[in-house]
Amino acid sequence: MNKKKNIADQINPEIRDALLEMGADGIYRCYQCGKCAGTCPWFPVGTYDFPIFRLPLEAALGMIASSEDKDELAAEIDKIYRCVGCEACVDQCPHGINIPSIFRAGRRLLVDFGSYPEILKSTVRKIHDVGNPVGEPREKRSDWARDLNVPVFEPGMEFLYFSCCISSYDPRVKSVARAVAGILQKAGISFGILQSEESCCGEAIRRIGSETVYEEVAKANTSAFERNSVAKVLVNSPHCYTSFKNDYPELGVKFDVLHISEHLSDLIESGAIKPDKEFAKKVVYHDPCALGRQNDIYEAPRNVLRSIPGLELLEVENFNHGLSVCCGAGSGGLWMEWDKDERIAGVRVTQLIDTGADVIAVACPYCLQMLEETAKSMGHDIPVMDIAEILAESCL
Amino acid sequence: MITFKLNGTEVEVEEGTTILEAAKEHGVEIPTLCYHPAFEPYQVCRVCLVEVIKDGQSKLVPSCGYKVEEGTEVLTHSELVLKRRRTIVELILAEAPNSERVLAIAKDLGIEKSRFESKREKECILCGLCVNACNDIIKVGAIGFAKRGTQREITTPYGEFSDVCSTCGACASLCPTGVIKVEEISDSEIKPILSEFDANLSQRPCIYVPFPQAVPNRPVIDRENCMYFKTGECRICEIVCQPEAIKYDQDEEITEEEVGAVIVATGYDLYPIERMKEYGGGEYTDVIDGLQFERLLSASGPTQGEVRRPSDGRIPKRVAFFACVGSRDPEHHCSYCSKICCMYMVKHALLYKERVPDGEPVIFSIDVRTSGKGYEEFYTRAKEEAGIIYIRGKPSRIIKEGDGYEVWAINTVTGKQIRVRCDMVVLSTAIIPTVGAPELAREMRIPVDEHGFLSEVHPKLRPVESLVRGFFLAGCSQAPKDIPDTVAQASAAASKVLEMFARGEILAEPHIVWVDEDKCATCKVCIDACPYEARELDEEKKAVVVSDALCQGCGCCVAACPTGATRQKNLDDEQLSRMVEAIFEQEKEHSGSD
Repeated sequence: MNKKKNIADQINPEIRDALLEMGADGIYRCYQCGKCAGTCPWFPVGTYDFPIFRLPLEAALGMIASSEDKDELAAEIDKIYRCVGCEACVDQCPHGINIPSIFRAGRRLLVDFGSYPEILKSTVRKIHDVGNPVGEPREKRSDWARDLNVPVFEPGMEFLYFSCCISSYDPRVKSVARAVAGILQKAGISFGILQSEESCCGEAIRRIGSETVYEEVAKANTSAFERNSVAKVLVNSPHCYTSFKNDYPELGVKFDVLHISEHLSDLIESGAIKPDKEFAKKVVYHDPCALGRQNDIYEAPRNVLRSIPGLELLEVENFNHGLSVCCGAGSGGLWMEWDKDERIAGVRVTQLIDTGADVIAVACPYCLQMLEETAKSMGHDIPVMDIAEILAESCL
Repeated sequence: MITFKLNGTEVEVEEGTTILEAAKEHGVEIPTLCYHPAFEPYQVCRVCLVEVIKDGQSKLVPSCGYKVEEGTEVLTHSELVLKRRRTIVELILAEAPNSERVLAIAKDLGIEKSRFESKREKECILCGLCVNACNDIIKVGAIGFAKRGTQREITTPYGEFSDVCSTCGACASLCPTGVIKVEEISDSEIKPILSEFDANLSQRPCIYVPFPQAVPNRPVIDRENCMYFKTGECRICEIVCQPEAIKYDQDEEITEEEVGAVIVATGYDLYPIERMKEYGGGEYTDVIDGLQFERLLSASGPTQGEVRRPSDGRIPKRVAFFACVGSRDPEHHCSYCSKICCMYMVKHALLYKERVPDGEPVIFSIDVRTSGKGYEEFYTRAKEEAGIIYIRGKPSRIIKEGDGYEVWAINTVTGKQIRVRCDMVVLSTAIIPTVGAPELAREMRIPVDEHGFLSEVHPKLRPVESLVRGFFLAGCSQAPKDIPDTVAQASAAASKVLEMFARGEILAEPHIVWVDEDKCATCKVCIDACPYEARELDEEKKAVVVSDALCQGCGCCVAACPTGATRQKNLDDEQLSRMVEAIFEQEKEHSGSD
């Protein structure tokens, strides 16, 4: 006889305790106001109800990934991997609850059981195997710099330039690393790269839930930094930035990290870089979540753009600075596949294009790849450029 | 004195009085347009024409500039006068068909529409009030007449923005047609002077009665904006004030009174909506706070009680009300519940529905707190009888869409997204201590809590007394409160004062301070240490003594005294160590029994 399943929820203290141990923050503080969910980038997508406000309560009851029903569990895994970790909700939560930390805890449980999306499994595996998410060999990490005379980092140099896996390997995004190197060389900055000694910073896979592989690469990086007496790291990816600045200190390492936009803004102000060629275009700046909301760097990239002659800087009305909408590439979103009309990036591209801009400027390789590909797939031919690429056009 | 006949009645006026003034003195209204008591009569509009009969000869003269003559007869509303006045007003009406002032005069004369057509572009009747104000009163001369005939107009030199214009707005405020605009005269930033009482929803002049029920009910001068205080010119209020009550050299006076008790009732302010960036606070004109909506509902408010949007005066067809804005938000704003919002939102929604029957109020709230007599019933009635919609959820964003707004929220009951189009949003922002209240409290030495509200002695048992004897608390100075609670607390505070006065003596705490006068070295350290000014040097005794009435037994002086002369009653070292011993003994007994 087919006995019908009792549908009553049951409190599961074991899952709750596991989530708390895995860093789920503030689960008891939530008063179910829902302010987070309307701030979530899935809201303007409009096709997917993402009741993230329920997450803290679900965690407190131990009801995350607790279903024994296969379909229910699959739907829940889909839900848990929707979060792009943009932290817009954290910024608005009246109780400052870090909802992405609860998602991350849930993901760590799923990763421990091997029940997470196949595509992310492959990303995690590649990072584990070759230290980058694209699966290219380590030896090719510095290929972008081959003809640029970028020296290998030596103790005594001022900066290690850590160029992010995407801008090291991706044929399109490589030009960001090349632009950064070119500008730094022209300004006479002492810097070098660690070539194959560098591994992925691990920011994304940590947020995917793979704490073990994150620790692997993080330790590989910190020991490489220590071996080479690195004191200051310059990054062009806000994800490397937030990882080095906010995650790595947990490992007990000490080094300074600077996002390229901060450094370029300083160099322009001191006169070491003089953007003199006109870039007579209307440029809209997209705030990367990991740079703006998560690390309060809003003005430096704008200062860089403002210093360029002829450039007219536009803003996305209602959705700039802390209220900017994510491109959708964070916390593993870069590798996830969504239906064409169900993409966060689609919302953002429309907002950016609606400003009447000729060029979309970003300061993040994830945003660059995500927005450029989405704009293309939507039939827009608007160029998406990193601020370093635009500056290089004006000063090199 | 001069005697003359006014509309058939013999009247007496002082020599030199104009017919207009004389008529006014005797209760006869003559319409005017270009006349202003502060200026020399300009006599161009001719609206104030009257008929003067002298030696049997009749003539029409402008009453504003014509002085009364002995033995004459003046007719202000004769057939001839009315006929001419009608024609003149019709001509003026043709120039300014939308001017409320001209329309009112025309209506009084029975004119509905002008037979004439204007050849001018602007609705200017060339009354010259603006030019006279700028030249004679403000003494700036930024504008003047130019050109001739139908081309005649009021403009700045060469039609360019004026460098000398002080953007005082005297010209625009006097213009009967509203054609003069300061922003067309000067390109400097124009800062309208907003009415504090109308929560910045209307403008007010520099001399004004602060609010209708002000005591005393007299105008005050806003010295920061008054042209006289800025430039030494204008004085228009002084010129027009007949009882000569304007005194520019009047200053604030500080009156010292000796009192036996003080009730502190500093009220509250609202958390600034500018801090609510996600709601476009301060940026979107139609996103307002509860107090502003209260003014919109008020019959004496900026819209005479009609609910109209601040941006365009349109009647909003859907108004969203947000609860807990800045309240119950320990992370970014205020951690506490502001207590009154849930109930005043019900009231606002009901009154809005009453004023705009086809309007739709939508209330976003998280917990509706109706803890008061009849409150829950009121809330239920609002939903049931008036059909007010409640959505459970704190909205995330307000996005401006066209000439309306879209509220982004989650209906947390269904878990579904909800976007609500509305014309206006009222934010129930948190109640905060009145700006300056914590500083005042410091003066009075009354401690404040982490939010700046005044602290009571005991939250349950002594809720109306402050920690300083003789100072009592009432209303929102202590915590957010509604009217019944405020009245109750204020009554209690008053009773406490009466109780204190009726007793005739003051009860002191059992642990106030005394001084061993032999040990006192008169170093006066204790005087500085005492927060209550209870210590002073007694020259005769050669010791610093304690006022038993003022001492609160805080012990600051005991700690500060270097010689040990200052001692606290019932809290001697000996007594304290006995207490500690007793506690330890108890503890021992406790652990022994376990």
